Amino acid sequence: MCGTSYLRVALVLLVLPVAAQAQDATDELGQQVYTKWCAHCHGEEGDGNGVAASRLKPLPRDFTSGKYKIRMTTTGNIPTDQDLTDAIRRGLYGTSMPAFTAAYLSDAEVAAVVGYIKSFSDWFEDPERQNPETITIPDPPPYDPEAARTTGRQVYEETGCARCHGELGRGDGPSAPTLVDDWGNNIKVADLTMPWTFRGGGTRRDIFRSMSTGFYGTPMPGFHDNLGATPEESQQRMWAIVDYMLSLAGGPMEEGETPYANVLRSVPFGDEIDLENAELFAEAPPATFPLFGQIVEPGRNFYPSAVAVTAQAVHSESEIAFRLTWNDMRAETGGTNGPDLIAPKWDEHLAEIGQAGAASGDTDEGGDFWGEEATEDDEGGDFWGAEEEEAADEGGGDFWGEEAAEEDADGDDFWGEEDGAEEAPLSGTLDTEFSDAFALQFPLQKPEGVRQPYFLFGDAQNPVDLWFVDLAKPSKTVRYQGRGSAAMSPAEGGEDVEVVAGYDQGEWSVIFKRKRKSRGGLSFDEDSFLPIAFSVWDGFNRERGNKRGLSSWYQVYVEPSERPSPVGPMVRAGATVLGLELLFIALVRRRKGKKNS
Amino acid sequence: MNWWIILAVVAVMLAARWRKAGMLAWAVAWLLGMWVAMRYGFVVPVPASVIKIYMGIVVLSLIAYVLTDKDRIAEFWGPIEAFVTEPRYRLLLAATVLLIPAAVAYQIYAGMTAIPNAPFFARTVHPAPPDSITVHGSELALGTADNPYRELEETSPEEFEQRLENGRKIYFQNCFYCHGDLMGGAGMYAHALNPIPTNFQDPGTIAMFREAFLFWRISKGAPGLPEEGGPWQSAMPAWESFLTEEEMWDVIIFLYDFTDYKPRAVEMH
Ligand code: HEC
Ligand code: HEC
Ligand code: HEC
Repeated sequence: MCGTSYLRVALVLLVLPVAAQAQDATDELGQQVYTKWCAHCHGEEGDGNGVAASRLKPLPRDFTSGKYKIRMTTTGNIPTDQDLTDAIRRGLYGTSMPAFTAAYLSDAEVAAVVGYIKSFSDWFEDPERQNPETITIPDPPPYDPEAARTTGRQVYEETGCARCHGELGRGDGPSAPTLVDDWGNNIKVADLTMPWTFRGGGTRRDIFRSMSTGFYGTPMPGFHDNLGATPEESQQRMWAIVDYMLSLAGGPMEEGETPYANVLRSVPFGDEIDLENAELFAEAPPATFPLFGQIVEPGRNFYPSAVAVTAQAVHSESEIAFRLTWNDMRAETGGTNGPDLIAPKWDEHLAEIGQAGAASGDTDEGGDFWGEEATEDDEGGDFWGAEEEEAADEGGGDFWGEEAAEEDADGDDFWGEEDGAEEAPLSGTLDTEFSDAFALQFPLQKPEGVRQPYFLFGDAQNPVDLWFVDLAKPSKTVRYQGRGSAAMSPAEGGEDVEVVAGYDQGEWSVIFKRKRKSRGGLSFDEDSFLPIAFSVWDGFNRERGNKRGLSSWYQVYVEPSERPSPVGPMVRAGATVLGLELLFIALVRRRKGKKNS
Repeated sequence: MNWWIILAVVAVMLAARWRKAGMLAWAVAWLLGMWVAMRYGFVVPVPASVIKIYMGIVVLSLIAYVLTDKDRIAEFWGPIEAFVTEPRYRLLLAATVLLIPAAVAYQIYAGMTAIPNAPFFARTVHPAPPDSITVHGSELALGTADNPYRELEETSPEEFEQRLENGRKIYFQNCFYCHGDLMGGAGMYAHALNPIPTNFQDPGTIAMFREAFLFWRISKGAPGLPEEGGPWQSAMPAWESFLTEEEMWDVIIFLYDFTDYKPRAVEMH
């Protein structure tokens, strides 16, 4: 016995230096990879303060905290190495966190950098945090759209998701504007109608995992085994909610799939276009277009609010109407907006929202929530942030689980209790300096060939026609002629374009109508393609002028109301071919017959 | 090239030879084989119009080949004649006779009900730069200009390192939204842009150019492109409205360093 332990010691002494060397090499590789590929965002020190951080939302993760969003481990736990590897390989959808595919990093490099980012937090060393509990994802039941819309929706409502995510999942719940993460930054609630923007992925399994384990460091709770009396029941209800979300987006999607279109089809609609008619757009195929922040010209908008806009169009003999919808956490219907307002430069913007050393006294103008309120919350301590942190620090217990138990015990509705405290100043619409606004952009004249005006509000030779609506005055269109963003002038004939707009359950909807032919502007002729582009301003995010969310040029195709019927040409061509065939056969047979005889 | 596809096609042709397939089967094999090779054999898809032209050539050569020899004609014609005349093929013949007009009618139906394609602009990705540009008041002859800080790599590595760090900062505060964190052109906004942002990791982009070309593209952006480059649709900003000349040269140094490419040198006169 003695002998063997001597042997062991001797062996260990022999092996240790070799192992340590290998470990050193891995550490060094990890650091190299980190410095080249990660430090500019996540910071040299891993604190999330890289050079890019000041222009990013969400912020790069602070690795010193040990808190990770996307995990297979239950609430309050550190992630597994596989979780971190997956996050690096897949990236975080809808954020700047890229996917480091095999073209960029080898498996060894990823493993090394995983080790390196773990070294920033002592949680990974803490003996009490080792071997965290992980979840398993059961096989999903078949997707049933009908059940998703009924049972799924019911469970969603019962569980209280709507309080943050909104009744229809559009990210407009009453608590949404108040939410902060554990670092004191305001956090935008996920828009559940767009699974392709989910950080952790939008497949059924991904969503099941995100809901089960929650997003550590954020208000998004984990519901693992918590939705029913037994784990099986809980899992069933979980799948029901997952499928409800997917039904909002039009069904399950493949990993990495997005629903974006290039062409909007305007379909014929009867004789008269009546904006009051609820069925006006019932048959018009929707097309969704992605938006991006205006970062091309001064007045840059590094994190626009709106991600996408969905368009539909119908036309009659003489008129054409467009319906545009996009999701917005709140309707800002106070203040003003316009494409010709001066947008602040980036440092001016930071000063406006009380960052970058500007006096913090000027925060009373009710402005940018995402920047300004964060500082306030830091001092005041936001309910959501504080609670989460406490619960987490208590040793990784499931916050929701505990609360839920309490809730059951005294029969009080957990959600209900807080409502009173917080909601009052936030219900309804917000009064801000800048209102929400929208604009459709067309070339002022029909483009010759493929030459279009510059997509950012036109250029000197090729002006654009902007149908602008300030949603504080939602029944009036102002038309602008744009010859570049510094040369926007209100144009004659604004009254030509009728508009109605409304905000409901987190969704803005704007309908424009105009004569198909017009003196000052494009003619929407049938069977033609015309360039179309979109701009969205969110007052909440202090967007105005050139600080906006916008799209590239897309095309609208005005379908002919009468297409020539294909039947005639089909019959003619078919009959001709048949005739030729029969002739051929007859000739061949005759020849053969002759030869034989 | 998709070598597996090409190999499979060659294997089928060899098999046809080896089994001494009839002239008709042989001609059909050639026709199909060429089509498959052309349609699926290349990684970058060959345009449909080009395929059409090549298939025309293949058909003509096959006809010529068959017609130049009596035996070949007989061998080619035999199976066709048998199919049309022999009673045992009657059912198959009837089906074929009906299917062909049906296919033609369907083609016409699809053509008439499909939505026409949106107009497409084939932009020149790398148009020729102008002779000289003026940036922040100073003129630069693009043919001879070079990165004024490139020589620091040799003369003062420390200062070069600083420039590189500065370039990195500029890139990660301005460019990566479009060109991507990895310079692969897949930034977080790339899916909303048309044309898509340039992939600097691709050997066909910055590796082919001199630094002055990049300086032109960066300082003047899309609005500085000639008409064939589609200045109205590219989102590439004119960085002279945000950055100093020095900063633009610094970011160029960073682009090459991060991708491990070398700029093309200025030709000596
Ligand atoms: C362009 C900026 C950027 C770069 C470069 C970048 N990241 Fe990130 N990363 C982010 C952002 C932003 C987030 C947080 C997104 C969120 O919280 O929704 C993030 C989050 C993460 C997370 C957390 C995932 C989770 O589950 O919470 C990990 C792990 C991560 N990054 C690792 C890396 C590694 C390793 C590298 C380098 C190989 C890297 N990142 C490079 C921006 C970046
Ligand atoms: C206390 C507020 C709150 C509640 C309650 C809540 N969520 Fe969330 N949820 C959030 C926030 C905030 C985010 C955004 C997290 C982020 O971006 O990092 C989020 C994100 C999500 C995501 C996106 C995950 C991803 O990969 O990006 C899904 C899916 C989701 N929640 C579903 C639900 C469902 C379903 C419920 C109810 C069972 C629910 N949430 C309850 C606040 C909440
Ligand atoms: C808003 C998006 C956007 C931003 C931000 C952006 N670019 Fe571009 N860039 C593009 C697009 C799109 C193209 C391709 C179309 C074109 O050539 O104009 C491009 C092309 C280029 C080219 C031409 C490459 C070639 O092979 O011809 C260079 C060089 C370039 N960008 C450098 C930069 C640098 C450096 C920055 C940051 C200082 C930057 N870009 C920021 C969108 C952007």
